[in-house]
This record gives sequence, structure tokens and C-alpha cells, in this order.
Amino acid sequence: MDPFLLEALLNGILLGGVFALPVLGCNLVFGVVDVVWLCYAELVMVGMYGVWFLHTQQGWPLYLAFAAALPLVSALGVLLHLLVVRPLLGAPPINQLLATGGVLFLLQGGAMLVFGTDFRSLGVELPPMEWQDVFISGTKLAAFCAALVGAGALWAFLKFTYVGIAIRAIARDREVMPLMGVDPRRVYVVASAVGGALAGLAACLLVVQLDVHPFIGLSFGPITFMICVMGGLGNMLGGFLAAFLMGVIVSTGSFWWNTEMSYVIAFGFFIVVIFARPRGLFAR
Amino acid sequence: MSVSRRGLVAGSAALPFAPLPFSAMAQPASGPPIRIGVMFDLSGPFAAAGSQACAAGAEIAFELFNERGGAGGRPVQAVAADSQSRAEVAINEAERLISQERVDVVMGVFSSAHAMPLAQRFEAQKKLLWITTAISTAVIKGRNFTHVFRPTVHSDQYGEASVQFLTEHSERAFRIAPNNLRVAIIHEDGPYGTGVAASSEILAKAAGMRVVLHEGYSATAPDLSTLVTKLRRERPDVILHTGYNPDITLFLRQAKAGGLRTRMIIGQGAGYSQIDRLTETFGAEVNGFCNVDPAGTQMLEPDKLTPAVRELRQVMMQRYEAKTRARDLPTHASTGFNSAWTFLEHVLKPAVREGDGSIQAMIRATQSVDLPVGGTIQGHGLKFYPPGHEMAGQNERSSTVVMQYEAARAKVVWPTAIASGPPVLPFPASSPFALRS
Repeated sequence: MDPFLLEALLNGILLGGVFALPVLGCNLVFGVVDVVWLCYAELVMVGMYGVWFLHTQQGWPLYLAFAAALPLVSALGVLLHLLVVRPLLGAPPINQLLATGGVLFLLQGGAMLVFGTDFRSLGVELPPMEWQDVFISGTKLAAFCAALVGAGALWAFLKFTYVGIAIRAIARDREVMPLMGVDPRRVYVVASAVGGALAGLAACLLVVQLDVHPFIGLSFGPITFMICVMGGLGNMLGGFLAAFLMGVIVSTGSFWWNTEMSYVIAFGFFIVVIFARPRGLFAR
Repeated sequence: MSVSRRGLVAGSAALPFAPLPFSAMAQPASGPPIRIGVMFDLSGPFAAAGSQACAAGAEIAFELFNERGGAGGRPVQAVAADSQSRAEVAINEAERLISQERVDVVMGVFSSAHAMPLAQRFEAQKKLLWITTAISTAVIKGRNFTHVFRPTVHSDQYGEASVQFLTEHSERAFRIAPNNLRVAIIHEDGPYGTGVAASSEILAKAAGMRVVLHEGYSATAPDLSTLVTKLRRERPDVILHTGYNPDITLFLRQAKAGGLRTRMIIGQGAGYSQIDRLTETFGAEVNGFCNVDPAGTQMLEPDKLTPAVRELRQVMMQRYEAKTRARDLPTHASTGFNSAWTFLEHVLKPAVREGDGSIQAMIRATQSVDLPVGGTIQGHGLKFYPPGHEMAGQNERSSTVVMQYEAARAKVVWPTAIASGPPVLPFPASSPFALRS
């Protein structure tokens, strides 16, 4: 096999790992609370700033800065739910979208006021791995492995814990579960906290790969939502698989044609999927 | 000429910044201000890619101009607008400046993607647009504008400088004849990157070079690793790269991780001119990179400038450093200052002195501007192509240089006549991008 094509394929899979975590978080929140957090990428941005600030400005060891990012963004997710989403739970979906869209601009503007418009870099890199003329970024590989571990932990949480089962039950039938004694308001808060923690984990994985700036969400926010919709909004396994599919489409499209065309192909594929399977590629 | 108490106070206030000549202690401007719209990207991705540095440079020009008497004794007042790195915001803000703030002139505009629609609108409304930074040739070429002016360079000049630089040095430095040189051209896909890349390809091919890859990408792309893979496959001797900032750092980071090695990477302005930012991310690894842009004023030998401009340069540098604490002045700071200063001093002032300060008087003044090479702080002169010319409104005396980074500072390495030393080619062995022996 052409080593360069193999490298492009591997890059696509690793890129899918980068997309996967925010997609899982977004889908979890939507599946349970039934509200799309338009500002999800900005929560990731806040987490990236948190890691950068604690590590480079406060001198914290990187693992401690990472460990702090998860509860930080998780708490932000809870605040977002309590202050913005909960008052609008009965409102039309467009109002909910506008409200979380407003938070997007609030977080962007806030980051600009606090940190300025400069690009901040963590300056941390792992050496690349080389095998038979195939290069794989050590940083991306580590991030990919961490994403898989994160996704596995989420799966175990939802599968084996009482709260996780309650979350899945609410996601399946929001009307009936309260009759069974489940308090949906508490479950919503827990889902928002877990969704926020996933954004925090995504922040840890992205901050070692990208410079952080107030508008970093523009780089991966739109494609994250596209993947969510393509996999089926609220469908976590679907979103997870769609993330890898999209990563491979972008990467191989770029290899065979060019970088601009790869996104045209990806968006073209998305449109076809939406026409053919409006509820998502992996909807049951 | 008597010096008033007010002038002395103003002069002494400026003393920490620079020893001022007598002319600088002229009575500060007073009277009703002349309002001028000033629009840059103060937020969004372009802000840190050079737009803020431009805005800071322009701000110093306004301060200095007012301290030195303004236009006919009247101060100029900047009416600021933030185009937020978005074309639709730039258009709306320009509309606000014209219709609500009632300004006749807007200066600024960092991005060519903004300049393209703005130029058409200003021409249609017969208001004056003074483009300080956006460099796409297509903004001006063949559009026969009478109300749009650009005192700085245009994108074709980036290709010219890159190719001439390689033609002069390839044989000596790489032991490769220029017509055997393998060149890859990569660029962000807006009018800026597309324009620079197009001229680079045409001129490289005309010089007999082999363009082995020409590829654009979105400046907000989250991943460029496959582009790196393709570059490795094509084994270019030189990579010409036009981009802003998040994309440049993403590319270089992934290029390093992806094992990309080449003889030289030549940046073509914007993000590559933000040496402080690049150093923050890559440390000493940015040393050895070449970059094409108008010269930052600190890179020029003072004796290449006229005496008045020499003094202006000194004040500008000191004020910028005091204002921003920059280690090395970004090129954009000089461009922002220079473009603003040339308008205020050489267009607005004569238009007020010899006319009524109207738009027509300013347009007449632009046709009279005739600054020789060395007549601006960036070393180039200023004379506009006349109406009817395919480049009407473009400064025909603008020029670019090739600079190279050494100890995180830029030095001019081309044109040879003004170079402070020969370029170090190829990348030194210590660079992560250098070819393995």
C-alpha cells in the first residue's frame, strides 16, 4: 500500500478521534435534555484557556491543569443548564437555540476581554512516530487514545451506573420516566455536568494540538454539529462512528483531490445522508 | 516661529519617547476636528494576525499628526470601527461610518476579502477608501476606481519577490539551477492567499521552476496533516506559504510532527510577519524562516531614508514599543503607521491647505503626491497610478523585501542592495525542517 495513502488514512482516523469527544458531549446533552448547545465549542474553548492559564501562567504541572479543566467545564455546563437552558425548557426550540447562541457570543467576547485576541500556545509536543516512511504525530496519537478512553468511560458510566441508566431511560422516553419516580430535573443537571466534562476532556486533547484563541470554536464547532446530525442527533454511537467516517472522508478527500475539495465532499456526503436518512446515518 | 506654552507642554510630554526636532513642537492642533473612519479587525482571527498591530500603528500616526499641528491647525479624529474579521460586519460598519457618522474617508481594512466588496461600495457612493493593509491585486486591478487608494504593496509583488529571491540564490545556496527547483505553493483560500499564490505560480513557471503542488485551504481548517503528507510525497525544495495565524501555526506544528523536511519555507506576509507570536509557539525553531512583506521600518538602514522620515521612524518605533512592549516590531505596525501617516501628511494636509478639504480636493492631492524611494518609513516611495491605468489608485512605488528571522528578529536579505546580510540557505541543520544529510 502507498505509505502516503496509509498515512492519510491514519490521519483521518486520528482526526475522527478529535471530533468524537465534542460530538459525544453534544449528543448526550441533546439526547437527554432535548436542547442543542450551540455554544458547545465555546465551552471547549474555555477549557483550553483554563489549561493554558493554569499551566503556563500559574506554573501548574500539565496533568493537574488537565485534571482541573474537567470539573471547570463541567461546572460551566451545569451553570449553562441552570441559568439558560432550564428556564427555556418549555419554550419553542428556536428560543433555546438563540439563547445558547447568545452564550456563544458571550463566551467569545468574555475570552477576548480577559485574554485578548492573541493566540496562546501550550508549547507541549510529543515526538512523532515513524514507521516505514509513515509519520504519525505522537501528540495526536496520545489525544486519540485519551478520546477512546473517555468514550469508553462514558459508555461504562451510562451502562453500569444507576445515574447512567436513568440518563438513558430519560433519553428514551422523557414523558414516562417521571411516572416511574425519576426526577428529570436532576438527570438534566447530571447530563449537563457530564456533557461539560466531555467538553473539558476535548479541551485537554485540543489544547496540545491547536493554539487557543477566542474564536477557536469556528475551527471545529460547525463540523461537530454536522457530525452530530449525520450520526443522528442524540444517538451517541451513531455520532461516534460518524466522527471517524467524517475524519476519513476529509483526510482521503484531501489526499486524492485537495484540502478545499475534501470539505466539499464531506458536506456533499452530509447532504446526501440527510436526504436519504433524515434522522441520521445510524438512526435506529 | 514662536513656541507657545501649550506646545512646550505637549513637546515635553513626548520627551520620554523621543528627542523631538523643532517642527515637532509646533502648536498642537485645535479647532473642530476632521473626522476619519478607521476600520480594522480588532476581534476575530485577523486581529492577532496583524490587524491589531496595524491599528496601533495608525493610532500613533493620528496622535503624532495632531501633536504636530494637524491639518491647517485642525486635529484629526479617528472614528473607530471593528470589522470583527467578517466581511458582512466590515460592510455594515463601513455603511455606519458613512451614513451615521458622516465621514468622507475610511482608512484601514486588513483583509482582502473585506476590501473587495468595500472598494465597490465606496466607489459607488463617491466616498474615499484608503486601504492600508489588504493587498490582493484583484481589489484594484482593472476596476478603474477613482475613490479607492492603496499606498502599500499588492499581491503580485509577493510572487515577484519570492521568485526573484530564489532565482538569485538557488544555484549558490541549494546547488540547484532555478529551472530544476521544485516549488510547492500552499495558501489560505481567500483573495489574499489566492492572489499571492497565483502570482507565485505564474512567475515560478516563467522562471522555469517546477511547481509540484499548488493547494489552497480554509484559514479555519481544523487539520492540515494530509496536506503535510502530500508535501512529503512531492518533496519540494522550497515551500511558498501564504496564510494568517492560526492556520500557519497549525501547519508548522503538523509539518514538524509529520516529518516534513525541505530546503526552505518562505512565508508570504500576514501570519509569518507576526514574529512574536511565532516565537511564542515555536521558540528558536522560527529562526531561519524567510518571509516576504513590506519592510518593517526597524529593518532598514536609517541612511536609506530621507532625514525627516528618519526622525519619524524613530518616534514611531519608540512609541510602538512603549505602547505594546513588542520585542520586535511586526511589519504590520509599520504598514499601519505608514499608510495612515502618508494619508494625513501628504493627502489630507494639502487638501485642507490648498482646497476645502473636500473629497475632490483629497483626490486631487493624491495625484500630486510624489515621494521618492526612501520617502516613507518603509523605504518605498509614494506615487499613485493615474485614473485610466489598470492599477489606478495603487502605489506604483510600493515594494516588498525578503526578510529572514535570526534570534527571533527579522533582517532584510533581499533585495541585495538594501540587505543587511546574505540569507542563510538552506535551513540550518538545527532546524526541525532541515533536510537530513
